[in-house]
Amino acid sequence: MRKITRILRWILILAVACLMLVLPWIAQNRYQVHIANNIGIWLLLSLGLNIAMGYAGQYNLALGALWGVGAYTAALLQTRLGVPFWINLPLSIIAAAVIAAFVGLPSFKVRSHYLALVTIALGEAMNLVLVNEVPITGGADGIGHIQMPNFFGFPINNDERYYYIILIMVILGYVLGRQIVSHRIGRAFRALRDDFQAARAMGVNTGFYQILAFAISGAYAGAAGALYAQLNTYISPDIFTFNSALIVLTMILVGGMGSLPGSIVGTVLLLVLNEYLQVFQRWQLVGYGIAIIVVVLFLPGGVVELARKFGNFRRRWLAGLSKGKSDAEAG
Amino acid sequence: MFLEIDQLTMRFGGLIAVNNVSISIEKGEVHGLIGPNGSGKTTIFNVLSGYYKPSGGKIIFEGRQISGLPAHQITATGFARTFQNMRLFKSMTVMENLLVAMGYRAGVGLWQEIFDPVAVHREEQTFTEKAIELLDLLEVAEFANEPATSLPYGHQRRVEIARALATNPKVILLDEPAAGLNEIETEELRKILVRIHDRGITILLVEHDMKLVMEACETITVLDYGRKIAEGTATAIRKDPVVIEAYLGKEGNP
Repeated sequence: MRKITRILRWILILAVACLMLVLPWIAQNRYQVHIANNIGIWLLLSLGLNIAMGYAGQYNLALGALWGVGAYTAALLQTRLGVPFWINLPLSIIAAAVIAAFVGLPSFKVRSHYLALVTIALGEAMNLVLVNEVPITGGADGIGHIQMPNFFGFPINNDERYYYIILIMVILGYVLGRQIVSHRIGRAFRALRDDFQAARAMGVNTGFYQILAFAISGAYAGAAGALYAQLNTYISPDIFTFNSALIVLTMILVGGMGSLPGSIVGTVLLLVLNEYLQVFQRWQLVGYGIAIIVVVLFLPGGVVELARKFGNFRRRWLAGLSKGKSDAEAG
Repeated sequence: MFLEIDQLTMRFGGLIAVNNVSISIEKGEVHGLIGPNGSGKTTIFNVLSGYYKPSGGKIIFEGRQISGLPAHQITATGFARTFQNMRLFKSMTVMENLLVAMGYRAGVGLWQEIFDPVAVHREEQTFTEKAIELLDLLEVAEFANEPATSLPYGHQRRVEIARALATNPKVILLDEPAAGLNEIETEELRKILVRIHDRGITILLVEHDMKLVMEACETITVLDYGRKIAEGTATAIRKDPVVIEAYLGKEGNP
């Protein structure tokens, strides 16, 4: 039975992988590919926030601004100094991770929702810097004329080609995220979230791991920022706000806190729904609010909890089935 | 001296929880720390494990002053502890609880932890084997993959001791390990203490179960109102009039 499940699982993974690979060709129009790219960028944001918040309990709601740090680093390096994509991407990741580590410093003094408030304030302050440092950031007008990447003479100049770069980054982000959360670092994160004092007594350098959690979410946001800037070729401060952090928070709450697949489910669900509910654009935030309330009340583990519940139910059902059979044989 | 608590004082505002207490502990000893409620036993533990910085005095471990170091560094020098009100990590299995305590001293570096799956896999195997061995020692190996807090109370206590041992300690601080255990479980606990002792680990035991303390400990220190009032072997302590007075009150006092 378990063998069949495993085979089914691999078939599913393979099917999804194939679908991912050919998506630009089966898409009905360029806009759908654009949506897919957008989903990929938000996926990086929600994977990063889920590691910091879902695993380590570090409420990094400066995420929107950190996304901006990545985007502006890439944009400035590219437009002012002509630094190509392949170099400005890692530099953006490092820049956002370093700034995120500083954003994490208050976590030594305040926890949970107080930390959330402090990081919101820090994020908004950073956004104000983007708006007001006109000579560097271009102020509210932002930065335009950002070039799309060029791979040794092969221009990645449309959504279809760019899609594969984003796909690679998302897969990389997921695989590295898995590696982080499922071994020693992830256990240290969960330990300090579950019981701070006990974690210290077990030898976890809690301060270090708190900052690391912030830096990791910053690194993901940095990657998302660099990708965003060079996909849209134009950036302005209005998207790098608390509002964006809130959207990412909704994604991981709906999908599943402390679960990387939860990040994927939540992000895809929210962005796809968003496309179909364009008419209600004005009510978007109201909708997110309702979604959060419903999930927190009825499904605290997010949508992935449904899958887990179903799995448990099926296992019990199968166990009952085989037990009934052996009982019948015995009888 | 192996572990020296030297004129330790711990003040919280106007309250003096520990007042000028000195205790010497030898390597491999089972040392009991008893006293009525509020006599400062747990406070001494909290200072020893680095939660509090002492207001006065110092703690010397293997010739090195450790008082004032952050908790995780004290753990790295060889201290481990359990808690009076058990504090297992609630989102984790029994196995994961033990794994948390491993690998901060040696082991693969941070970058390897993220980018080198082969090294991580090898490390995980070593950790898991060691964890199984400790769970066997505490006779809870069969629950390795159960959620830690779903276990019966007595078993959770054992998992907590196993988790403390997983940090590879030289000294283990047990804060009321028999609290909430019945007589049979307490007897099993005593046997476990013997096994831990046999591994050459020094045990510092805070406990209200006098039978256990008298049987298990080689030396006992008695505290009352933050002061050390007596120290000696179980037999000596049992007869000490000062100790009897602290526990039962003065004769003739209504």
